[in-house]
Amino acid sequence: MEGIAVGKSAFEKSSPAAIQTRDVGVKSATSGQSSERSDEDLLIAVGNNQDTASFNLLFQRFSKRIFAMGVKLTRNEQLAQDLVQEAMLTVWKKAPLYDLDRGSAQSWIFTLTRNRCFDMLRKIKRQPNTVNADDIWPQQEGELESNLVHEERGSMEVEIAQIESYYQELPDAQREVVEQIYIHDRTHEEAAAALNIPLGTLKSRLRLGLGKLRQMIGIEES
Amino acid sequence: MTYHSTHHPSRELLGKFAEGSLSAGMSVVISAHVELCPQCRETTSALEAEATLNWLQNPVSDTAGSEPDFSHMIDAITSEPQSITPEADRFAVNEIHMLEGSVSLPRVLAKLASDGLVWKKMAGGINQASVMLDNETQCEFLYMKPGSQVPVHKHRGNEITLVLDGSFSDEMGRYRESDFVLRNASHQHQPMSDEGCLCFAVQDSPLMFTKGLARLLNPFLQYRFRRATSAQA
Ligand SMILES: [Zn+2]
Repeated sequence: MEGIAVGKSAFEKSSPAAIQTRDVGVKSATSGQSSERSDEDLLIAVGNNQDTASFNLLFQRFSKRIFAMGVKLTRNEQLAQDLVQEAMLTVWKKAPLYDLDRGSAQSWIFTLTRNRCFDMLRKIKRQPNTVNADDIWPQQEGELESNLVHEERGSMEVEIAQIESYYQELPDAQREVVEQIYIHDRTHEEAAAALNIPLGTLKSRLRLGLGKLRQMIGIEES
Repeated sequence: MTYHSTHHPSRELLGKFAEGSLSAGMSVVISAHVELCPQCRETTSALEAEATLNWLQNPVSDTAGSEPDFSHMIDAITSEPQSITPEADRFAVNEIHMLEGSVSLPRVLAKLASDGLVWKKMAGGINQASVMLDNETQCEFLYMKPGSQVPVHKHRGNEITLVLDGSFSDEMGRYRESDFVLRNASHQHQPMSDEGCLCFAVQDSPLMFTKGLARLLNPFLQYRFRRATSAQA
């Protein structure tokens, strides 16, 4: 996925969801610095291309806020600093799983920081690790279901001729994803880069699109 | 799931849940309700967005003078590999087997139950399996067999009962699957169940003994739940 070149102009084209969240949140988050690129654009570049320059910008925009949240919740600057490390590491690692359809980049970073902080505090209080924050606030619904999409791929391809007439009726966002994967035969990573959307968003749109197609051609959900 | 719950956590409680400021026990029981209740799921998403905005708008420089700089962390972070695929589901148990069939559990409770529940018989046809989550709450699965009645009791603190299967009723109403029932110290009540009921309950009054010690001292026979229910038949 590093090999896919994404033109700068492609970043200018944001989905309606990204534009909306930009209006609500980014201005206050970024306070002027590098304000041309939204947090979503940066996170997508980190997730799709392992772009360290974009990660640097995200780090500058969020690390001090994470530290502030840590100080407020733990009342300990050393722990708050550990939280910055943990949370930004999670941002880096999970960026490929970020999903535009499930919210803004700010919310995504907020919830993962909340989760890391919750686990940290439980560890310090020596509470049993019977459950962790990601069990309490699962973000992986789409990720788990996306495995199903993968497994279905074989049988769906067999029926592509039948599906072709129906897929024109899909909403644009879902149709272009189905098109990338099943017509142009691209991998999930290639398609996400080509459409400039997060891999997680691609997978959830694909799942929704395939679900609708299945309904249209009358294949029952088993 | 056709039944929509009529008893929900308050907006205030959901707000604290979204912030992450509740105890583990409270967070778990709310998480389980939210998974079963589309209405509260929507509210929670909205409250998470609200909490995000508050976070972004709060002034960042409380620590006057020393501007913290963390950029030395960046190189170590970006040399780590990224996750391409989500972590696999780590727990296999997602249901509890009972005599009448099996009950599917919300994800977080399935995780809790996957360690194995130790059930003990209580008075009045109640089975109880405690789980240890934190030092601030007592959490347990409760199974009321058909026709059972809890002795009249009062709570010292708040008690939340989330109905997972079947139904129970008390002086104030009847509660069914996914209902989130909050009782505080002023309520005196006597829950009963005609059809049987599986619940998850959280009390915020502190424990008298540690769970481990209580288990050693437990005068009742302990069963795995499957055997306990067969024994009750
Ligand atoms: Zn609800």
